[in-house]
Amino acid sequence: MIRQIFIVSALNFRNLRQRFWQSMVIVVGLAATVGVLLSMNSLSEGMLKGYLKAGDPGRAIVVSVGATSEPASHITRDMAKLISVAPGIAKDADGAPLADFGINATLPVVRNDGSSSNTTMRGVGPRALKIRPEIKIVSGRMFRSGQREMVVGISAQAQYRDMKIGDNVAMPDGNWPIVGAYTSGDVLEGQVLGDADTVMTATHKKNFNSVLVRLESYNSLSTLKNALTSNPALAVTAERHNDWYKRFSAGFSGFLTAIAYVIGGILAVGALFGCLNTMYAAVSTRGREIATLRALGFGAFPVAVSVMLEAILLSVAGALLGAAIAWLLFDGRQQPFGNNVYHLTISPAGIGLGVVWACVVALLGGLLPSIQAARRPVAEALRAT
Amino acid sequence: MKFLPLIWSAIMRKPARAVLTLLSVVMAFTLFGLTIGLNATFNAIEQTSRADRIFVNPRFGEPLPIAMGRQVVAIPGVAQVGAIGALFGYHQEKKNNVFVMMVDDNLRKVRPDWPLSAAQWDMIAHNRTGIVISRITATRWHLNTGSDFVLAAPSIPKADGTSSWNLHVLAVVDDLPAWGNGFMMGNFDYFDKARPVADQGKADWFEALANDPDQAAEVGKRIVARFANSATPLQTITEKAAYQSSGSGLDLMAVTRGVAVIGLCMILFLSANVIAQSVRERFAEFATLKTIGFSDPAVLALVVLEAAVPCVLGALLGVGVAAAFAKLMPRLFPPGFGIPVPTMTPMVFAWALLSAIIVALGSSALPVLRLKRMDIATALARR
Repeated sequence: MIRQIFIVSALNFRNLRQRFWQSMVIVVGLAATVGVLLSMNSLSEGMLKGYLKAGDPGRAIVVSVGATSEPASHITRDMAKLISVAPGIAKDADGAPLADFGINATLPVVRNDGSSSNTTMRGVGPRALKIRPEIKIVSGRMFRSGQREMVVGISAQAQYRDMKIGDNVAMPDGNWPIVGAYTSGDVLEGQVLGDADTVMTATHKKNFNSVLVRLESYNSLSTLKNALTSNPALAVTAERHNDWYKRFSAGFSGFLTAIAYVIGGILAVGALFGCLNTMYAAVSTRGREIATLRALGFGAFPVAVSVMLEAILLSVAGALLGAAIAWLLFDGRQQPFGNNVYHLTISPAGIGLGVVWACVVALLGGLLPSIQAARRPVAEALRAT
Repeated sequence: MKFLPLIWSAIMRKPARAVLTLLSVVMAFTLFGLTIGLNATFNAIEQTSRADRIFVNPRFGEPLPIAMGRQVVAIPGVAQVGAIGALFGYHQEKKNNVFVMMVDDNLRKVRPDWPLSAAQWDMIAHNRTGIVISRITATRWHLNTGSDFVLAAPSIPKADGTSSWNLHVLAVVDDLPAWGNGFMMGNFDYFDKARPVADQGKADWFEALANDPDQAAEVGKRIVARFANSATPLQTITEKAAYQSSGSGLDLMAVTRGVAVIGLCMILFLSANVIAQSVRERFAEFATLKTIGFSDPAVLALVVLEAAVPCVLGALLGVGVAAAFAKLMPRLFPPGFGIPVPTMTPMVFAWALLSAIIVALGSSALPVLRLKRMDIATALARR
């Protein structure tokens, strides 16, 4: 049986060349479907990647109860000090807790295309780099604490105007020079860092927004959580940093993914009808050949399977072609969107999904023609012209 | 006209093929309708947006003292200024985000083009807890004139210690293209005085009207300069600039056009194959037609029309499906979800029709060439 399937399929593929343009309908249809699906999805994938990378599970973020974003959370200096001495937080070599009091401010920027936008300016403290070791200064130097100066992420530098080292940025209390640029591999690359206390003074804010801590161990989150919630002087919650970002990014990226699926879905249905059309045509042009095979003693099942295999092969080829085009065009490209800069991403998982879509289309599109091919009475098919 | 049966029989020679082709075309044009309809919405937003209206926002996100409004209106070139408080919250469940613009009485002069009558503006001014809402929001939350609408706003505490705002609907008005998910407007004074004293006297943004649209950008710069050294520096943008479809940083119109074009290419390929196949099968028939005296153009027209029927029919059906879907969209997505609803303007239908004709011509080009070069005798002999 397997041998029969193999022989019949080999025969199919050998004469594919005669049906080249017809078969290309399937390839083009699936290439369009998967290419569009992956391209549309590249923004939300980039968004997820940017946020998920930013959330190290060895870190926890402490925000006020009920806050769903950092700007909505308020932590006074007194609260921040209490939080930093809570159990479960790792200590550095000097015995100081690895806790960083952070503040977020909006910073107006101009995108390269001239449109205006905002980015996040993060005020961070002296221990920030120990807690976020992924931040690396790649040119210039780090800002000095207490100084009115800032460092910018390399994506912010690439996508916004006037973000070179030495440029001045208008802050509420005058111009701050940019003294360095950093990489971090996540959304922070599209943002700006400065000294927390100085940012606070400049923006007339009295409270921090969050406290970021490095956990003693992966499991010490519950220790920290219990200590914080049982302290009546604090109305705060701790959450693993990656969970925080996951929740934060899920809503919007989910929405973008939904749009990509709707558009991809419509194209897929269009491609499905194309696939049905092509496979019916293929079966009917090969009617005689199939009948001959059957007369020679090949079973109906191998014939049906060979038709399915052909549909799958063409569909998957189309999907890979579409994925390759989308990858060449978009993967890794920086895309400013809203108040962030994302790296468009076409992931292996996404390509896998595209191939699965292609297989589903091929199965649905090949099923009826393959049944028809197998069922056709041999004698009648042999007589047909 | 008398050749119509001829075309019809050619198409229906293989009914399955005809139906499948048509369905493919319908799908592609559904997508075309949605994407180009979306562009029509973007265009409508850009066209109805005003060059003389200036959004005055805090540069660093802090609320603005309402006294600033009076200082802004004194700046040369500014005709009117209105203040808006942003009441962000949710209705019943946390996922039901709701946004109410709490507006002062002067905003009516800044928004003369909004679909509210003078009486309706008066209603907002004279009913502290009243709101005027647009049709889309009314449908979404099942509200009518007179309905109560309670919203919870945890981030905006009230002086009484609660954070629930009890509003009631004064009137339902038309929607605006730029507010694709509808809008709600309430009374600023109520919003302001209900909050703790420390939070009072602050607006989230101002809107100003410039005397001269051509000067609006300049006036905006003047406003920024006036407050450059204040505790709350500003940034300004004209409504026209703010409502550009590329405002998010992504050129949405290019994306939607790209998707539409890819869909069309797919259909072009498919249709070209089907028509080529159909002509190949009936090569001898065409030779016969020529033999009995059909002119070259007549035969070619038959082929082009055979390609055009599914394309044009599919285009109309597809755009129709898109229109039906667009109508359902406000019910499917919650307001504030950020996706504008496609508008099915006559232009969308016209573009669809034009594209369908181009696809039909493109897909019949090769078969037509073959038929033109056909040697009748050989074609007939092949039978």
